[in-house]
Amino acid sequence: MMSILGFLLALVVGVFVAPILGGLITGVDRRITARLQSRLGPPILQPFYDVAKLLGKEKLLNNSWQAFCAYVYLVAAATSVVLFFLQSDLLLIFFVQAVGAVFLVIGAMSVPSPYSQIGAQRELIQVLTYEPLLVLVLAGIYVHTGTFKISGIYALEDPMLFKLPLLFLVLGYALTIKLRKSPFDISASAHAHQEIVRGVYTEFSGPYLAILEIAHFYEMVLILGLVSLFWSTSFVGMLVLVALTYLAEILVDNVSSRMTWRWMVSSAWAVGLTLTLINLLSLTM
Amino acid sequence: MHSTLMFILIILPFLAAIVCAIVPVKQVRSAVVVATGALLAVASLLLIGKVPFETSFTSMAGLPLASLTQLADFALLGVILYFGWKHKHQGIKALAIAQLVGLFVLEAFVMDHHAANMAFFADPLSLTLVLIISIVGSVICIHAIPYMENHEHHLRLTISRQPRFFAWLVLFLGAMNALVLTNDLLTFYFFFEVTTLCSFMLIGHDGNELATKNSLHALYLNSIGGLALLLGVGFFQIMLGTLNIQEILRLSPNAAYAMLPMALVCIAAFAKSAQAPFQSWLLGAMVAPTPTSALLHSSTMVKAGVYLVLRMAPGFVGTSLSTYVALFGAFTFLATAVLAVSQSNAKRILAYSTVSNLGLIIACAGINTPAAMAAALFLIIFHAVSKALLFLCVGTIEQRIESRDIEDMQGLFVRMPVTATLAVIGVLTMILPPFGMLMGKWMAIESAAANVPVIMMLALGSAITLLYWARWAGLLMSHPLKGGVTPEVQPMLTKYPLVALCGGAVVLSLLSPWIYSALIVPMLNAANAVNPQASFAAPYLSAKGILGADSGVFPVVPLFILLIAGMYLGVRVLKNAQSAREASIYLAGAQSRTDQTPDSFVGPANQPVKVVNANYYLTRLLPEEKVTCWVNTAAVLLALLLVVGGL
Repeated sequence: MMSILGFLLALVVGVFVAPILGGLITGVDRRITARLQSRLGPPILQPFYDVAKLLGKEKLLNNSWQAFCAYVYLVAAATSVVLFFLQSDLLLIFFVQAVGAVFLVIGAMSVPSPYSQIGAQRELIQVLTYEPLLVLVLAGIYVHTGTFKISGIYALEDPMLFKLPLLFLVLGYALTIKLRKSPFDISASAHAHQEIVRGVYTEFSGPYLAILEIAHFYEMVLILGLVSLFWSTSFVGMLVLVALTYLAEILVDNVSSRMTWRWMVSSAWAVGLTLTLINLLSLTM
Repeated sequence: MHSTLMFILIILPFLAAIVCAIVPVKQVRSAVVVATGALLAVASLLLIGKVPFETSFTSMAGLPLASLTQLADFALLGVILYFGWKHKHQGIKALAIAQLVGLFVLEAFVMDHHAANMAFFADPLSLTLVLIISIVGSVICIHAIPYMENHEHHLRLTISRQPRFFAWLVLFLGAMNALVLTNDLLTFYFFFEVTTLCSFMLIGHDGNELATKNSLHALYLNSIGGLALLLGVGFFQIMLGTLNIQEILRLSPNAAYAMLPMALVCIAAFAKSAQAPFQSWLLGAMVAPTPTSALLHSSTMVKAGVYLVLRMAPGFVGTSLSTYVALFGAFTFLATAVLAVSQSNAKRILAYSTVSNLGLIIACAGINTPAAMAAALFLIIFHAVSKALLFLCVGTIEQRIESRDIEDMQGLFVRMPVTATLAVIGVLTMILPPFGMLMGKWMAIESAAANVPVIMMLALGSAITLLYWARWAGLLMSHPLKGGVTPEVQPMLTKYPLVALCGGAVVLSLLSPWIYSALIVPMLNAANAVNPQASFAAPYLSAKGILGADSGVFPVVPLFILLIAGMYLGVRVLKNAQSAREASIYLAGAQSRTDQTPDSFVGPANQPVKVVNANYYLTRLLPEEKVTCWVNTAAVLLALLLVVGGL
């Protein structure tokens, strides 16, 4: 059992430090992306300036459920991060995170705008694509460690990556979708002039859009936290693995263009399920 | 005391059915239905302190039960044969005759002395089912009183058909209670067939061509199940010399060839639970008035099938049959979730989702570990409550908007704020934490994690489930920011059952750690007592509202505290949002400004064109007929594997 102090520490880190970390990573991401495109890019702190500016804007809504849904998305994202720092059950964390995903979709669907509606439908298809892959990665972790609890992973002697290399690839595949990176920026592209504008985000503005941005910062920390578990035995290993993985994500984002959702579902499932099958069979045999 | 409770739970509904059928006064009928429901609910709650017990009666209230059942068995098959003959349905006729012959052979030659008493056995598993049947079932019957009034008004009937409708409805509850409480497999078979007849009568209630056709289809497929069960009964009697269910579970793990009758019993259960390839009867049953669907899906009929598999599960733990049952259930879970995606008819979505969830329960029974059995029981409880709520919501919505297409429910919150909100909560309790269904799924996935084919199917199915539910919930909530919401007026007997079921779904989820200690641990212990070869030790520890084990942890109460705090703040956010300025939807600058309608853009000749949105149903990717064809073929192969593999 965790001590009260540990509990409070996890709570503080989860609630306050995580979004700052997420914002910083986004800032770095934007800088690196700009360099890859021969631009200078904004300051590292730009995501925070953006959020601060949005928070100061006038409240503008089409429908009051939007406010409710944005808020639930934030709470779910923060809760899942806190549960992660509490070293709780991975499957549970994943389901709590799904609450946010569902409410984001409900918020987008509650407005009869074609852009947000299409974004919502595509977002659901994205969820449909990455959810099974993540569940299978977690199942693989269970087969290897005998538990779904994160504490069980930290008890391992060797990094999980050696035993679950293919599942790590599957995780990467799923997380590219979750991070809204190209070629999977299907439901909410950050770039304008898309046929869906900003998809699920289209109808959110001002402070409500800021809430969604902050929620996304939390989710980024959760995602990179999951990646770090694959090298749980040393802090340096963790950092290196996370940094390399994220760099790879940025690279993929920049060298690929957005594909259709049909391609996303079929390729992710085909690749993901095959790799999972091989890795799981090699573990259970 | 036992005999009084048994009388109320089993015989009383039959008597109430007779009163409903012969007294044509509406008020009397309503009073009888409400009173029977209340008595059933009370009796089922009183049963809580009494389990486990085993008892038998030679007669109850002067009725020689066992001999009556034996006679009634032949009469029942005769009635089914009559309907087959009347509607010229060769399949039903052939199956009824086969069962009549089988039953005659069994009674005359195989059974030497079928003890002339009626044996009852109640353990936490049957108690759970009795509670669901008696409480959820009664709530549905009560909701049916105003519903059927409207329904007949809508059909413009001159002579009310409600007497027979309510008669079959309450009789169904009695038959279900008898089925889960009996400890004799032949008696079980009788009540199994009674429920088949009840569903046949209720599905065909409206008497039009489609209703008759679908009711006959249901009777036909369920008769296949009936025949399989009868064969199973016969083989058990021949091989083990007993039809006492507890005896069978004790003997079968060490008996050669006992897996054959077990497999046959499982096939019967699959037919009853509308598992692939039998799912078509439940889909067809959607033509019936909504209370029928609600009853069939949540508290009766299909639950009889999963009950049977769970009841028998300790008898085949560790065998290859168990593996095949797990595969079969997981396959149905996935396949019917895929089928649900292409549906826009609310009742068909609900129907496929029922089949899918029952598949998950059967998969748990097949995985057959203590954690999986616990998951199965949780899923049964929470599915019953949430599904009853959703069906009754759809029924209520359908009577108002005269459509059951979810596309027509867009922005329903404006017209029916209460029912729409209840429906959305119903959907959320099906898919999200911290609600019970999700916890059941969590347990199921955790206990299936090491089984590669099963976990792959569960992972895919679970994601697909989320897709079709979230899509629907999102549609219901769209409404303009200010004004426009009309308060909803509903009759008392319509509103309160809905509110009660919704409250039940939430409160029961909160109580799940205590349900676990009070119902599920005793159930596992009971299974252990019957079959100690399989260790059914309690898989989780329940402390301070947290269910935990070495493998995982689900903090139910902490999550609920968070949910309540979140809801409080959420409602404040919602109120706060009223002060926001109303924006019109984004239309890339092509917004119509001259028009009164804000959701239009400027089209050709400066005419406003209204924006129309619709869900993705992936119908081109997953056409229902084609998918059904593949699913049925695969399911038949799996079912064959089950029977042949059992040998």
